[in-house]
Amino acid sequence: MLKVAICGAGGLGASHADNFQHIPETEVALVYDVIEEAADALAETVGAAATTDETKLYAEDIDLICVTTPTPFHAQYVIEAAEAGKHILCEKPMARTVEQGRKVLEAVEKAGVTMMVGHVVRFFPEYAAARELVQSGAIGEVGMVRTTRINTLPGPEGSWFHNYEMSGGVTFDMVIHDFDWLLWTFGPAERVYAVGVPDHMPPLDYSLTTIRFESGAIAHAEGSWADLGLFRTEFEIAGSGGLIKHDSTGMATLTVQKREQQAGLAAVQVPESPGKSPYLIEDEHLVQCILEGKQPDITPQDAQDAVALAAAACESIEAGGKVVNL
Amino acid sequence: MASRIGIISFAHLHAHSYATRCNEIEDIEFVGIWDDDAERGKEAAKTYETEFFASRDALLDAGLDGVIVTTENARHKENVLAAAEAGVDVLCEKPISVSVPDAQEMIDACSKAKVQLMISFPCRYSPAFGRALETVRAGELGEILCIKGTNRGRNPGGWFNDLELAGGGAVMDHTVHVVDLMRVLLEDEPCKVYAEIDTMFNPDLECDDAGLLTISFEGGCVSTLDASWSRPPHYPIWGDATMCVIGTGGNCWVDLFVEHLDIYRNEDSSYVWGPYGYNTDTGVVRDFARCAESGEPVPITGYDGLKAMEVALGAYESARTGQPVALPLA
Repeated sequence: MLKVAICGAGGLGASHADNFQHIPETEVALVYDVIEEAADALAETVGAAATTDETKLYAEDIDLICVTTPTPFHAQYVIEAAEAGKHILCEKPMARTVEQGRKVLEAVEKAGVTMMVGHVVRFFPEYAAARELVQSGAIGEVGMVRTTRINTLPGPEGSWFHNYEMSGGVTFDMVIHDFDWLLWTFGPAERVYAVGVPDHMPPLDYSLTTIRFESGAIAHAEGSWADLGLFRTEFEIAGSGGLIKHDSTGMATLTVQKREQQAGLAAVQVPESPGKSPYLIEDEHLVQCILEGKQPDITPQDAQDAVALAAAACESIEAGGKVVNL
Repeated sequence: MASRIGIISFAHLHAHSYATRCNEIEDIEFVGIWDDDAERGKEAAKTYETEFFASRDALLDAGLDGVIVTTENARHKENVLAAAEAGVDVLCEKPISVSVPDAQEMIDACSKAKVQLMISFPCRYSPAFGRALETVRAGELGEILCIKGTNRGRNPGGWFNDLELAGGGAVMDHTVHVVDLMRVLLEDEPCKVYAEIDTMFNPDLECDDAGLLTISFEGGCVSTLDASWSRPPHYPIWGDATMCVIGTGGNCWVDLFVEHLDIYRNEDSSYVWGPYGYNTDTGVVRDFARCAESGEPVPITGYDGLKAMEVALGAYESARTGQPVALPLA
């Protein structure tokens, strides 16, 4: 039985805690947060102990620490956890800067612990299937790849997400999902050019990134925290031998409408594709790797490469558009 | 009085749509066709039940109000200059030309001859774009911060793949429509372009077939435009023209050619999109014919054509140097 400590009791902390409750080999033993009420609330939900004392994370009986703090604190907790000999699940982005990321890599390697970063998009079946098709040569040499990831601005008023210094905006926080998938599928990136409007956060952020890969492929990644509708993603991959497209809108296998009881509220319609949660598959993969002593498919270096690509895109955006070589 | 219109050349496929519009629109008298490929011209004259003229001068001397030039891109200039000399207003297919000096010479010659030069940007006539423009102009989206545009297509082949005649590949073919829409929407001019351009889908081509442009505007709006011929040959429609517009007050999406019927044919096991809705070429041809006959100023000028083409040329320069290029070009 792996005993898990949740480090950071926000939305993703709760999500992973729920996953670990569904994995027979794990048990959530501890919830840590600097905000006592947050730690208490999640701890009660999952039947774990709560603490605001960081040192309890590194206690003897904890095997796996799940780092789900705001991004700028990922590196320090991961390094502490590694030095304490704990296995680690860290939410993406692995670190807020390339330099922080480098220190994380060193610490994890030195400690010899297992660490995986939550680049969950790899576990979404449409992204995995598209990558397999590409790698099987189904569409020949890849020429142009386009990804889209659209959301409303996350977090409540005053949220750390809205602070560019902390979150890096939509490009660093959300498009990093696509950056990781692009690197995983098409190999190393050579250069980046990006434009965006992080200065408008809140209420919105939006960016458009061009990436040139060493393979020659060109990619365009759109990220939106400007949207007012439902979360959605799209991608298309054009190659010398054909085209692969996916649009999450219209791929729902189930749509439920509920007429609200209160007068005046419009019917709420939620499209979904029920199936095993990619977030749960992700956590199961990590647990399996820890138990078998294997390296998870998402390596620390992969996560660092995604951080470097996202940081390069942000550098280009901050300069109002400039070529950043990787 | 009906506007007397002729067409020079059926090298560009759009000539067929313009010819159809000339026959459809009541106030147009489709006088005739000249084509340097006489066989092609005669065939078209037969199809559209109009006269084939044995020489360009003969067509231009036939009492035309206006002439539509649908040659290969590099031959726009000589034909526009001939029309100017004959005192006939011109509707020129996009892109206006293949170089800034050529385009400027065309604009100057028309201006000197007091002949109107209109560039064909049919996307402006899309009702969806019209409504988007109203929404933006009414301030309903606030300040426009970003635009994501696409104008992707199948490779049209033929002279479009000939650098001499087309002046470029996909980027030359597919940059100008959406750049024109962006200029209209923003009432602003591009000041910088960065582009990744290459030949990706058909290695045998001498021209580019993949292009991704990032265009910054004077007023601060930033945009990207995918101008690739990235649609496979059996794609169910020729391509698309789309814009996603992000403003401080809201967002809008326009997808100009998305209205379609899904058609599955047993005959050739094919699946195609059957377009329906407003034909944007109608607006272009009707406005041109009216302005040519009445002397009203044309709504889309040679200058508009030049500014849009300049972004494509800047994009090629950027791809050559690996750096963003300042606009207008020096």
